[in-house]
Amino acid sequence: MAAATVKTETLSPPAEEKAVERVDYLNLPCPIPYEEIHREALMSLKPDLFEGFRFEFTKGLNPQFALSHSVSMGVTEIPSQSSETIKIPTAQYEFGANFMDPKLMLLGRVLTDGRLNARVKWDFTDNFSLKANALLTNEPHMSHGMFNFDYKGTDYRAQFQLGNGALFGANYIQSVTPHLSLGGEVFWAGQHRKSGIGYAARYNTDKMVATGQVASTGMVALSYVQKVSEKVSLASDFMYNYLSRDVTASVGYDYILRQARLRGKIDSNGCVAAYLEERLNMGLNFILSAELDHKKKDYKFGFGLTVGQ
Amino acid sequence: MASQSRRGGVSLPERRNPRSGGGGAASIISRISQSEIVSRGRQAAGDSAVVAKKLLKSTGKAAWIAGTTFLVLVVPLIIEMDREQQLNDLELQQASLLGTPPVGQK
Repeated sequence: MAAATVKTETLSPPAEEKAVERVDYLNLPCPIPYEEIHREALMSLKPDLFEGFRFEFTKGLNPQFALSHSVSMGVTEIPSQSSETIKIPTAQYEFGANFMDPKLMLLGRVLTDGRLNARVKWDFTDNFSLKANALLTNEPHMSHGMFNFDYKGTDYRAQFQLGNGALFGANYIQSVTPHLSLGGEVFWAGQHRKSGIGYAARYNTDKMVATGQVASTGMVALSYVQKVSEKVSLASDFMYNYLSRDVTASVGYDYILRQARLRGKIDSNGCVAAYLEERLNMGLNFILSAELDHKKKDYKFGFGLTVGQ
Repeated sequence: MASQSRRGGVSLPERRNPRSGGGGAASIISRISQSEIVSRGRQAAGDSAVVAKKLLKSTGKAAWIAGTTFLVLVVPLIIEMDREQQLNDLELQQASLLGTPPVGQK
């Protein structure tokens, strides 16, 4: 009798596991694009920190078309040989035009210093899309262009990249289980005669996301994001470069409240940063950015306003 | 410093000679002041002063770093959480005033 109960007990867990494991492997979800596997961690840990003042105004002329004006006043840092960076005060105006359509997205940005940035995202079909990105400057050899051809399958994504300077790249990511996806990439930069290969893995559930990426350039990147609740998520990441022996680890939080979004992080280089976006009114956002580098004694503070959208 | 000046005073010959009777006490004092224990104690006191100074300095630095980090990372969080709480309370109050049961409130 006892043996029988033991038997049923020992038998029942595998049966249960089987029920859990009975996943329709032909019907896996589509993974996230290879370039975006660190998306959640980057969102929390790498806010758009700035120094000085920033004002952005976006005006929609009709549902598809919008114009944007942006003024930024602050400093640009010029890296120098000594440990101290040289800061030069700058002020810039940026004019942009956006065209948004479900199938076609066009974005153009012109800066007062002569830089032009253009982006195109065009979905030919439901599965096939083209992304193009071009940056034109008045400095020679600094302009570049890039074409990405994306194919989205039912449970995989493939991408082919083509850039100037004979840059070729391809990547592929495949869902292996409903939570785990694995991918790989190869690239070849003809101008610098460099090639590389990389692998990535991503495990996500609705409560956490863990990713890992290794590339032959020596880069090892690990990240982990835990969603504590609907509003709060905690993120950490670890970057290691095998060739230059650089190690950085950072921990951060991301609070998405009704009136504000607050992101903060602290990293192993002694750098503390916080980024607050406060919604003052409908379509009016107030931004505060702070970054303290205790090691270099470099303190950066910025504030800004975003009007429209 | 004081002991050195005293030693200088002691070494003056015209002072030392007439007081040959009290020379024993003076030599004891000078012997004590020049003894190894005293010099070592003085050295230890100097060292501990330096260490205390360094400790105070580094504690101050640590407090500064901790304080500024707290100001940047925690203070905005507290303020925003408080605002969120106030907003929630306000909504709850309005809902109860209007007589509708508070839906979606935990």
